[in-house]
Amino acid sequence: MIRRLYSPGLVIILAAAVSMPLTATAQVDAAAAEKIFKENDCHKCHHETKAKKGPSLKKISAKYKEKKLDEKEAIKHMTSGKKVKLDDGTEEDHKIIDTKDVNVQTSVAKWMLSH
Amino acid sequence: MTKRTMILAMSMLAFGSAMAADPATINWAKIPAKKIQLFYPGQSSYEWLRSDAHKGAAKETARGDSCTSCHDASDEEVLQGRKILKGGHPLEPTAIAGKKNGNVDLHVQAAYDKKNAYLRFQWKTQNPYAGTEHQYLRFDGKEWKVWGYPKLDKVVQEGKQPGIYEDRMSIMIDDGKVAGFAKQGCWLTCHDGQRDMPKQFTKEEVAANPLLTAIKKGDVRKYLPDSRTDPSDWKTGKSVEEIAKLKAEGKFVDLIQWRAHRSYPVGMADDGYVLEFRLADAGKDMFGGNADSKTHQPKFMWDEKKVGFKSIRADSQARKGDLFLVREQNAVPFDPNADWKEGDMIPDYIVSREDAKGSAADNNAIANWNAGMWTVVIVRPLGLTNADDKMLKEGGVYNVGFATHDDNITTRGHFVSYVKTLGIGARTKADIKAVKLP
Ligand code: HEC
Ligand code: HEC
Repeated sequence: MIRRLYSPGLVIILAAAVSMPLTATAQVDAAAAEKIFKENDCHKCHHETKAKKGPSLKKISAKYKEKKLDEKEAIKHMTSGKKVKLDDGTEEDHKIIDTKDVNVQTSVAKWMLSH
Repeated sequence: MTKRTMILAMSMLAFGSAMAADPATINWAKIPAKKIQLFYPGQSSYEWLRSDAHKGAAKETARGDSCTSCHDASDEEVLQGRKILKGGHPLEPTAIAGKKNGNVDLHVQAAYDKKNAYLRFQWKTQNPYAGTEHQYLRFDGKEWKVWGYPKLDKVVQEGKQPGIYEDRMSIMIDDGKVAGFAKQGCWLTCHDGQRDMPKQFTKEEVAANPLLTAIKKGDVRKYLPDSRTDPSDWKTGKSVEEIAKLKAEGKFVDLIQWRAHRSYPVGMADDGYVLEFRLADAGKDMFGGNADSKTHQPKFMWDEKKVGFKSIRADSQARKGDLFLVREQNAVPFDPNADWKEGDMIPDYIVSREDAKGSAADNNAIANWNAGMWTVVIVRPLGLTNADDKMLKEGGVYNVGFATHDDNITTRGHFVSYVKTLGIGARTKADIKAVKLP
């Protein structure tokens, strides 16, 4: 199943990260997480700094810090497909990330909240 | 004629005294090159972009948001092209054998002087040879029939015909008069119903359509939204009078196509425009069909005294070089009584610089293919006043879209850019700035 979702190279990177020193892990994870984020079209609505259709990553991270939320909350958002309110008041189902692997979801959430 | 002499003849033809700068001697090393990313768009039509299939973006696109308000990652085009071509994507139903890349790096440079704008393009081709070949007429023992089709065609997909189609470099130009072009570019012209698009027209539908019969067209090609009462339905064409009015108001885009078979050998690029259809400018193109409409026999064949043969065959060595049939250089009238054998082939198009006339003959070009890369310089006169041209002038900024057709393909099988701006000595900023030549 994993093979269907990720390029084999990526699986190796994620697996290898476990046994690496902390700093290296963070770096490798960031690149891999960003790749997954883009492959899932998340970047089309969430820019790093600019408000697009969804809030910017900076804004999301600031909100999470303020409200003391963590990646578990973010994971809920990317996996439940719940309705999100748009600027014009209409609603839409939020995008669901194409992996069920909690480790991968966690690295994407952490990367988002690192902005 | 060898490749080298052909190119020589061509550059002499094209750049006599009439032109200001010789594009071959412009010092391009001094002119900054801008890398523009092109990607494979598949069937991402005007209608698809406004449908729920364009997830979370239908409403925004319909209200006129710019594509790059969302598609703005630094490697966006690379990601998109790869995604569409990776197999199983709803925007590309046809698996094109051997299509490796979903994107192309196009390097663009621009210069101008009193007379012309000079646009230089460089891109790598997928194949280790130049795509200068185009379809042939082949004698099957009784009749002359078309041989070689673009790769998206069913006959090529099924292996019944070889994939043959010329490479192309195209530019669409808007001067700000076409509503929405500055934000959504070429995608305004791409619609369901067109050739190789979803819900492709049928001959009966076209024959029953008032606008297309009025302009004597047998299929559906690019059109601008303004030319229809319902932009998402090609069948709802406005009247010829209404369209003439739009044209007079400049509400059309210019479309210049450099063609590796049908304009390259005579040092030109074609000149057309898009409004209710993709049309050629007034006058006469530099190419025309070589099949006689009644007999289906070729009208011209190669001059054996000059070329060494009247026709070629599928396995001819000559196919490895550039093979063009140029009316004033190497062609003679077809001889129906020559000893034609099954498998003899003659190009299905005849090319001529001398016969090109009027507004359709405005654009010149030089090009060469070397070590896997095309270099094309299109020379567009400034200050054109024809009713079917966008006039380029010093101080102007234009919205432009670029496309290359590579690897024997036509219609949607191209690589395209999001809309960019081209400034000709303008003060305001532009993605591509033309440098003034001394
Ligand atoms: C079509 C646009 C769109 C796409 C695509 C999209 N999102 Fe969102 N996302 C939104 C909007 C709008 C909100 C704001 C919801 C709200 O505030 O109620 C949001 C909110 C979020 C939040 C929660 C922020 C918070 O305030 O709690 C997270 C996390 C998130 N998105 C992650 C993702 C991930 C991961 C992806 C890719 C799998 C993704 N989004 C793709 C539009 C989108
Ligand atoms: C409001 C944001 C937004 C706008 C504006 C927008 N898009 Fe998209 N586009 C998206 C999203 C999000 C997707 C991914 C949809 C999905 O989940 O498959 C997408 C998908 C696509 C795709 C399919 C390939 C891919 O990247 O998934 C193409 C092609 C595309 N868009 C072209 C365009 C063009 C051309 C325009 C302008 C006419 C445009 N888009 C305008 C957000 C947008």
